[in-house]
Amino acid sequence: MHTALRMDPRDNVAVVLREVRKGEDVLINLETGVVHLTAQSDIPFGHKISVTNLLVSEPIIKYGEEIGNAKIPIQPGEWVHLQNIYCERGREN
Amino acid sequence: MHTFYGYKRQLGLPGVRNWVAVIPSVFCANTVVKRIVQQVEGTVELTHPVGCSQVGLDLELTAKALKGIARHPNFFGVVVVGLGCERFRAQELADSIAATGKPVELIMIQEEGDTQLAISKGVRLAQELVEQAAKQQKEEFPLSELCLGLKCGGTDATSGIAANPALGWVTDQIVAEGGSAMLTEVTELIGAEHVLARRAVTPEVGQKILDTVRKMENKLKIGTAHGDLQNRSALISPGNEDGGVTTVVEKALGGIHKGGTGPITGVLDYGEPLVKHGLYVLDCPGHDGEAVTGLAASGCQVVVFTTGRGTPTGFPGVPVIKITGNTSTFERMKFNLDFNAGEIIDKGLSIAEVGEGLLQTVLETASGVPTKAEIGLHDELFCITRSYGG
Repeated sequence: MHTALRMDPRDNVAVVLREVRKGEDVLINLETGVVHLTAQSDIPFGHKISVTNLLVSEPIIKYGEEIGNAKIPIQPGEWVHLQNIYCERGREN
Repeated sequence: MHTFYGYKRQLGLPGVRNWVAVIPSVFCANTVVKRIVQQVEGTVELTHPVGCSQVGLDLELTAKALKGIARHPNFFGVVVVGLGCERFRAQELADSIAATGKPVELIMIQEEGDTQLAISKGVRLAQELVEQAAKQQKEEFPLSELCLGLKCGGTDATSGIAANPALGWVTDQIVAEGGSAMLTEVTELIGAEHVLARRAVTPEVGQKILDTVRKMENKLKIGTAHGDLQNRSALISPGNEDGGVTTVVEKALGGIHKGGTGPITGVLDYGEPLVKHGLYVLDCPGHDGEAVTGLAASGCQVVVFTTGRGTPTGFPGVPVIKITGNTSTFERMKFNLDFNAGEIIDKGLSIAEVGEGLLQTVLETASGVPTKAEIGLHDELFCITRSYGG
């Protein structure tokens, strides 16, 4: 069984289906077949792992839609959460 | 075709319960309402903190909520209790109930003399209504006669990948069979409105969806300008973040899975009932209580509430089915949760397989099987939305 699930073919992040430890091999179901990534940090259950290289301000895509943008460059296998993404919507001005 | 067993009403959809509701027109009548309900089996109390010292839109929202709840099909009849000097007139509430053909009784505390006299009269009137209600037999109805309220709360990352898609499958099934469902929590649609607008049946409905979300977002901005509300923290909770939901938009995109994939028929105002069957967006904030109250006031006979983190709440007289996509939450909160969609994650079951099971639970609940929240006497979700201007 896969360790992480990508919701939509456009997504550049996947959701880990169990807690993942740094250095662990993570299997993700891509349309082209199963891809292996090395987790760059511990990732809690249900959180996001980056599937690709992301540049600063590049959109983060989940469910096939933008959920925010990269605050800093993000490597494949990195935990994607509050520390490295931001979202302009729903914020105080 | 799927069916359920409910109670025929003179107007509109059938009820899935047959309670006698005891409703205060103002909070001053709350204790009298509680005493009546304590003495009469078969009644349900809908106490609340509003009904006086309100003006304008704020008063209008209270009137819409109370009238909507009072005409809810799960209530066979209603006893309205007023004080006598309140801003929201008890007579206006009673008249709106009578217009639906539903039995209604009105008690005014100041006219009766004192609360003891009002309680005594209320107990007798409620008892008579309960006796009438008990004589009504259930009938079989097609799924087209069901309107499902869609809600999530205590969201984690499993909500968007398991519980909400399973509920979305059920929504698609109900709408395909001619039934109805309502998405709401407009504060939590922020960032997903363009996806919903694409599914609107007409460009006008699509524009109304975009306008409804923009209006709510502007209202939140006005609130945060005063620093009284932290917009961001109001929309996404620490529990959401711990559960893997990072942004408001991510939460919204996961949340709208509850509405399935079908066309959106229209946008309803707060307290507005259905006219035509279909899938709707109801204009109401996302707070659990306010949203479920809005869904009930617009006539949803059953609410399905997805929760990754786990929440125990219920609504007086309206079954609220709790489902989680998080098996560990389900195991820990068995007393509170009705359905586990976590097998989509743990066992790789398809959304349709789990959706079939959830649809059965919805039909059984609609036919009378009590939810965990009903068994546990949970009624925290009756919460009338307020307007603070803007």
